[in-house]
Amino acid sequence: MARHSHTALNAKVGLFLALRQLRRSNPWTTSLIIFVMVLTFLNLVVVSGILVGLIQGAVDATREKYTSDVIVSSLSDKEYIETTGNVLSIIDAMPEVESFTPRYRESARLEANYKTRRDDEKPNTAGAQLVGIDASSEHAVTSIRDNLVEGSFIEAGDYDQVVLGHYLLKQYLPIESPAFTTLEDVGVGTKIRMRVGDVTKEVTVKGIVKTKVDEISLSAFMSDSQMRGLIGRSDGNVDEIAIKVKDGIDPAVVRDHLLLYGVGNVAKVQTFEDAQPKFLKDMIATFALLGTVFSSLGLAVAAITIFIVIFINAITRRKFIGILKGIGISGQAIEFSYVFQSIFYAVAGSAIGLVLLYGLLSPAIAANPIDFPFSDGILVAPLGETFTRIGILISVTLLAGYIPARIIVRKNTLSSILGRN
Amino acid sequence: MITTTNLTRTFINGTVTTPVLRGIDLTIDSGEFVSIMGRSGAGKSTLLYQLSLLDEPTSGEIVIEGVNARTMSADEKSAFRLNRFGFVFQDYALLPELTALENVAMPLLMQGLDKKAAYEKAEKALAKVHLAHRVAGLPSQLSGGEQQRVSIARAVAHEPGILFADEPTANLDNESSQAILAIFTEFYQAGQTIIMVTHEEEFASHAERIIKIDDGQIVSDKKLGK
Repeated sequence: MARHSHTALNAKVGLFLALRQLRRSNPWTTSLIIFVMVLTFLNLVVVSGILVGLIQGAVDATREKYTSDVIVSSLSDKEYIETTGNVLSIIDAMPEVESFTPRYRESARLEANYKTRRDDEKPNTAGAQLVGIDASSEHAVTSIRDNLVEGSFIEAGDYDQVVLGHYLLKQYLPIESPAFTTLEDVGVGTKIRMRVGDVTKEVTVKGIVKTKVDEISLSAFMSDSQMRGLIGRSDGNVDEIAIKVKDGIDPAVVRDHLLLYGVGNVAKVQTFEDAQPKFLKDMIATFALLGTVFSSLGLAVAAITIFIVIFINAITRRKFIGILKGIGISGQAIEFSYVFQSIFYAVAGSAIGLVLLYGLLSPAIAANPIDFPFSDGILVAPLGETFTRIGILISVTLLAGYIPARIIVRKNTLSSILGRN
Repeated sequence: MITTTNLTRTFINGTVTTPVLRGIDLTIDSGEFVSIMGRSGAGKSTLLYQLSLLDEPTSGEIVIEGVNARTMSADEKSAFRLNRFGFVFQDYALLPELTALENVAMPLLMQGLDKKAAYEKAEKALAKVHLAHRVAGLPSQLSGGEQQRVSIARAVAHEPGILFADEPTANLDNESSQAILAIFTEFYQAGQTIIMVTHEEEFASHAERIIKIDDGQIVSDKKLGK
């Protein structure tokens, strides 16, 4: 009890000293230390946040442009979703569902310049996924239409018209590879030939969409009504259904309900997260690890910075520390004063960092995502995680302030007063 | 009362051994004003550090108010300095970022007084050294004499049993030095035990007893009969 009250008294005296040292210290020095702490905080939160956000941008884009919240697709051993009508009825009856869009999907071979090509010339072809969509229901679920860079999007009643993903065109993806070919000299209004199974059809390019989602960029879109005829499927069975759930509903709830209704017997039911390819999941884990590594480096830099600052502060004030001890101020009270100063630097740096992060950086990057080659990177900084990092930063800073203070305080009192080594 | 018996202090630097105090036997009674004199390097400051428990003797005994210093832990010595001693340093030794009032209040806060009570006592101590008007001044805003008076106020604010002063006038002009010695005389007359190190005969003569040290030994111990 006595020890506890003694510690409390030391803390009180330490706080008294710390507040006055901070209040009357050189404002430029204090500002510089706080500035370093702000940078450390941003390094801790923003670097890993952008690394995670880089992948999160890709995940979000795939969700927004392709899978939506829940994707129902054909079983791996089936060509399409059998009894699609029943599945659609179940989906339509679910109160958690905002909207949904059925799609047809088939491999296709696209060919351009086939009318002018000489026999000895290499065919101008590209492989694509042909996707048959209902334009209005697709628009209610995904925002592919917003990514149109040329021409216009598929509308109800369109016939013999396609919208191409930009990876199918050489002017957007100038890759020379025998394994991956793109169409040359094709733009809006160009007639191309499509081969789906045994059927060949001449269509006109109506528009071009450019996204960072491969499933879209490598696809050719046409109206579902025409595609049904093209692939000879008149039973209403589709290949996939993208489902958008209402705000605040966990997609897993809808997935589980669908599985409960037996949809799993005729189709694969996945949330957008379930549908992420393994490489993306691996990348998320890798980038999270990288983020932790960078954060750890940031923490080490912060710890070393504070250690040096406090050590220099304490060593230059060694005589005064000796005098304080000489007049009976306890070593622990002096140590507390340095620890409180360290905490002040960390808290002040974190507070300014928080304002910068949530008041400036996060909204700015959300409004103008960073244009990475494979995703529009956002800044992922959940408040809870940020406060955890602040807690870690303060703990590390506390330790980094305590150690040098203790080293100096433990020196012989008289030697400190007289400046002897 | 302080008693030393065969007190020695030897500094060892590598292979060089320097005996600074060589068998000091001394008794200082409560209420005495003692000047310790000697030339530079004679050992007078080293003796003061021993008496004020800032340094450990190489051998011998120090008994302060009935307690043998050898039996005290570092924390106990620190507590003893806080509660029973006051210390005036040659170069004032004020904390630069604390006002005069805050400097004086520091030991009082460490004794557990709340801020209000500590500040009230500190103000009274500053008034005793005629600095009631300078309580808010930072050391950098005070003259050398004023800083030394703040240092004295800090040393006596908690009403110590013994006031130690290490060359308190060494950095001051004659006028300021006389003012400091006048304050010491006032305290002495009020019953304060004072042990002061000085090398100036004139200032030493303000004490009632002068102990002269040379080569680590007491060479004279004179009562002036005040």
